[in-house]
Amino acid sequence: MPIDHKRINGPDDTLPYQLFIKLNRQSLSQKYKELVQNGKRHDSRTPLQHRKIFMKTGVVSQAKGSAYIEVEKTKVIVSVFDPREIPNRQDYSLKGEIYCEFKFAPFSCEKRRLHQLDAEEKQYSQMMKKALEATVCRHEFPNFQVDIYALVLHNDGSALSAAITAAGLALSHAGVPMYDLITSVTLGIQKDTILIDPTTKEEQICRAPFVKEQEDNEHGLVVISMIHTHNQVAQFYQTGSISLEKLSHLIETLEKACADIVPVIQQCLVKHVIKTIKKSSNAN
Amino acid sequence: MSLCEAEKTFVLHGVEENLRIDGRDREQYRPMELETDVVSHAFGSARLRLANTDVLVAVKIEVDAPFPDRPTEGKLEFFVDCSANATPDFEGRGGEELAAEISNCLSSAYSSSLSFDLTKLCIVKGRKCWKLYVDILILECGGNLFDAISIAVKVALWNTQVPKVRCIDMDGNTVDINVCQDMFECQRLDVENAPVMVTVCKIGDKCIVDPNAAEEQCSVGSVVVAVSGNRLSTVLQTGMGSLHPLTLVECLKMGHKVGKKLDEAVKEILEKSPKGGDVGFLN
Repeated sequence: MPIDHKRINGPDDTLPYQLFIKLNRQSLSQKYKELVQNGKRHDSRTPLQHRKIFMKTGVVSQAKGSAYIEVEKTKVIVSVFDPREIPNRQDYSLKGEIYCEFKFAPFSCEKRRLHQLDAEEKQYSQMMKKALEATVCRHEFPNFQVDIYALVLHNDGSALSAAITAAGLALSHAGVPMYDLITSVTLGIQKDTILIDPTTKEEQICRAPFVKEQEDNEHGLVVISMIHTHNQVAQFYQTGSISLEKLSHLIETLEKACADIVPVIQQCLVKHVIKTIKKSSNAN
Repeated sequence: MSLCEAEKTFVLHGVEENLRIDGRDREQYRPMELETDVVSHAFGSARLRLANTDVLVAVKIEVDAPFPDRPTEGKLEFFVDCSANATPDFEGRGGEELAAEISNCLSSAYSSSLSFDLTKLCIVKGRKCWKLYVDILILECGGNLFDAISIAVKVALWNTQVPKVRCIDMDGNTVDINVCQDMFECQRLDVENAPVMVTVCKIGDKCIVDPNAAEEQCSVGSVVVAVSGNRLSTVLQTGMGSLHPLTLVECLKMGHKVGKKLDEAVKEILEKSPKGGDVGFLN
């Protein structure tokens, strides 16, 4: 990994002190019991309940379109810039390109993030690009490129989903032609418990199995992005170890969860439209 | 290579009829050629040729300190090199994105302890562990890189010989590891559940596996399914288009079915082949 020498990077082999706190020495099953107690999660949600979402457009004045999303503690800003000619390209491309950059702010996670994109951020950027490529009418701006930057201010789980949902909103705010609105939801699974929209702690317990020999030790994370009216999956990612039957069931659950978010985006866009109309009528 | 509309229709009709342009049916793979122990400086290596795709995987082992949040686990890292002699598209930084995608997909597929047990690579808890560097070199690119690479990685890991540790001296903060002198006394890794990836391509209304370069161009979307044992360890949607949820489930079913068959075939071949170590006149 090359290091940017123009910035002060700090020592690279530091560790967050939280690792050495006694609470962190708990085994996975203990953590799990603390987080999920008789069907209720630690923040008193039911397993299939999404956290509350707040969205706003037009937060970055320099950008063509921008959106801010808050899923309780998870906070992401997405900005979309004007289409520009694809740099360093000789041949003509019939379809426009999308450039995505997903970045965790240095202070957004427990461990400090560096300024340069690491492997996880690059992976997320690619998934975001995949999701948005299927949503944007790329044939409308041939040989041009739209830049989308997502910055996570605070990561409390499901940051990628929040970023994709917000990017969809920012794109429509920018007036980029799109087939439809896009919504994204993350899901965690540990044994038989399904956790929609997991927090960081819940994500952590879904990453590893409790016991090795048991039959029902399924675990994992699933991210899905749906295009609403056409009922299409724009992006899908799963990691962990999940059986086929379970995963097909999870896809159905996620479909519903994605549809639930759509009205929030619609409302936010309506608000934006009303505001713009009022502004222009006042000016006249 | 770029296909005209007529050629694309030809491919599409072939897929509909379950007779593809090279005579295979929809769930059939192209012939594979597998070789192990090809790199003498590596601890384990494999070369796989799947029609025109050629990949070389070598595993290097080094001693490292484990991650402080996972003190009982070793480390496993994947590096994919898309060199320009595979296809001219990879020239300059062209292959970088694909390389990142493949290595991320591999590390995600191997991340669960149910698919690959990293605790076996621990030497001293919290102090020392083995770190496996899995270097993947793409020699020739003829489509379907994910599948070819996943099998080659699995076989290379099967072929890997981790040195046995004879004794460990601990003196305060310094740890001295004494490794077995006998080069034939090695540990093998357990690759029983190591994932095998299957790329399922959607062409027209039907799905196919192992697309060649022409078929890859006709597909609207594809799903990479990593099968580990009976479970799915990673699913990643690639390509440009989007899929209906029902199509996605269908792709997963097909990937799961073909992946299990492929895994069995690979295991069968590996059982037949002689284990390294009993070669040479001294043993």
